[in-house]
Amino acid sequence: MENFTNETIDTANLPKYEEVAFTSLHPNYKKVVLLNVSLLSSILFLGFGSVTFFKNNEFTQNNLIALGSLLALAIVLIFFFSLLSYRKKGFAFRNHDVLFRSGIIATSTMVIPYNRIQHVALHEGLVSRYFGLAKIEIFTAGGNSSDIEIPGIEKLQAEDIKQLLMGKIQKQL
Amino acid sequence: MEINFNTPQRQSSIGIVVMFFDTLRQYIKAFFPLAVIWLVNFDKINKLYLVLGTIAVVLVVGVIAFLKYKNFTFYIHDENEEFIISEGIFNKTITTIQLDKIQQVNINQSLLQRIINVYELEVDTAGGANKEGKIKAVSHALALSLKLRLLENEKKIKVAIVSENPTENGTVITNKPFISISFISLLKVGITSNYLKSFSLLLLFFFTASDYINKFTGHDVFNDGDIENYVSKSTIISSLLIFMLFLFGIVLVINLFRIVVRYFDYKITKQKGSLLLSFGLINTKSTILKPEKVQITTISRNYFQKKMNILEMKIKQATSGEKTKHNAAIDIPGCNQLEKDEILKLLFHKIPQKGYVMRPNFRKIGFSVFLIIVVPLVGFFSIASNVPELMEFAYITPYFVVFAGLILCFGYRNYRLFINNDFIIKQSGAWDISDEIITIEKIQAITTSQLFWHKRLNIGSLTMHTAGGNITFHLGKFDKINEYVNLWLYEIETSNSNWM
Repeated sequence: MENFTNETIDTANLPKYEEVAFTSLHPNYKKVVLLNVSLLSSILFLGFGSVTFFKNNEFTQNNLIALGSLLALAIVLIFFFSLLSYRKKGFAFRNHDVLFRSGIIATSTMVIPYNRIQHVALHEGLVSRYFGLAKIEIFTAGGNSSDIEIPGIEKLQAEDIKQLLMGKIQKQL
Repeated sequence: MEINFNTPQRQSSIGIVVMFFDTLRQYIKAFFPLAVIWLVNFDKINKLYLVLGTIAVVLVVGVIAFLKYKNFTFYIHDENEEFIISEGIFNKTITTIQLDKIQQVNINQSLLQRIINVYELEVDTAGGANKEGKIKAVSHALALSLKLRLLENEKKIKVAIVSENPTENGTVITNKPFISISFISLLKVGITSNYLKSFSLLLLFFFTASDYINKFTGHDVFNDGDIENYVSKSTIISSLLIFMLFLFGIVLVINLFRIVVRYFDYKITKQKGSLLLSFGLINTKSTILKPEKVQITTISRNYFQKKMNILEMKIKQATSGEKTKHNAAIDIPGCNQLEKDEILKLLFHKIPQKGYVMRPNFRKIGFSVFLIIVVPLVGFFSIASNVPELMEFAYITPYFVVFAGLILCFGYRNYRLFINNDFIIKQSGAWDISDEIITIEKIQAITTSQLFWHKRLNIGSLTMHTAGGNITFHLGKFDKINEYVNLWLYEIETSNSNWM
């Protein structure tokens, strides 16, 4: 009882979450994103192609050109925003919590203290696995909106992070 | 029987059957529209294709089911005290659950599982509606033994708790209720609540009625400029008004009736640190409220209720697994100021005080006006300019603007976040003003969010995630929000507080 102290917390000197340096996702994950988007756009183009191929008389030449350019614009936008979204994502592991930042229009930062984590899952998508990447999913008791998913982390590092999150090893990343 | 769970093992091999039908169901769900087209054109399709197609589907699903079975393994990591499930064919997922986080383990059996004599095992942790780990096909002996092993930790804790208060069930009935809500209070609640519901019902009726009269008499109720029709018009309006009042009365009576039937004889009894609530006229419901499980407490009242000194409380508890469906929120209608303080003292050991006040930026009301008033009006007029019949309703728009404007104004004025050492209170609402109270240790995660053009203005939003739902405050001072987030994180991370 003697060495019990209860000093006032100096709120100004608390570690600031907003000043944490975020690690961006692995460069290979950019390739994963690009591959996925390419797949999507090729499906779109295939659809468009089949429409042109089985051309009914309902579609005039002008209509088709307009539709095609619209599609091209949409695909360019999808590429642009996917890359932007990739660039905006970042994560950080502090001694006591994990931070994840994302969002194009609104930047949102989610913080989960380690002692609130319920369980952790490691997810490897087909494309990601080829590039040796994995996704860490961190679940809390707060329902779907309070879970963090960090994609684009190297498999070995992901394993380490999982161990860190489970509270079994000290921070050494 | 001791079964070793330390090496990864598969489910019962007969479980492939379960996987097969599971996968089949998933695919049928996904391709349901296609299947319908197929069935409609049943006669036109070549029967050979049909047979070949069916065989192909069965084969493909069979292979997928086999691979699913092959790739699904589970084991317990003894050193780390973790339960680990790996699954997936192309997309692989490894789920790791710490044994001491497991809340309950359920063993179920569906009809199919009964036929092939296997059992399903569900592992559930706190919070979240979905089951975290699910093993679809294991033998009964294995399921029981695994359940035992998974809950070993849990049992240690439970035994400790039980020995602390052994007479939990004994002294329930003899306790005198410390709060009982009188019939008068229920009446008060009945006539003062659910105005919005009544109002929207009324509005709906109003429009159908005017439409009906329009068709019936061939006259438009409102846009009739003829002077000779003036008398009939005024009688129609006055009769309509009377009818509206009548309807309002009916809504009130129904509301009153519903509340009295539901909450009649509402009693709250103290019982070993938790609260026992019982209520109901026809069938008495009783629930137990454990203070440590409480996540969000909402206190709400409107102007009339304030004058009558009554308020409504809603308490959200931490949910896990089965309880989610029926036990999520508890209502306490019609208690007075004193009773509220008593309940709050029991839940929090003190009465929550409102500390630092955070107000939203004026842009909040600007945005709401844009979303609720400007967008619908623009939408209405742009449609109405093409459809002349709709223009007849244009006279409603000023009323709508005034009404919505008033609600938004009051809503903005009441929108506050109060922060004090232990509590965070969010106040909101235009007519029914509600206070949502949480304690800092109930926070599971925090999200802050800021639109990029708000960076310079130093405004942003804050969301606190708890096991009973989220609380969001929009467009507060961002540096102040960050300061508090840092403080809360510090408090959560330095103490091992029990949040449920």
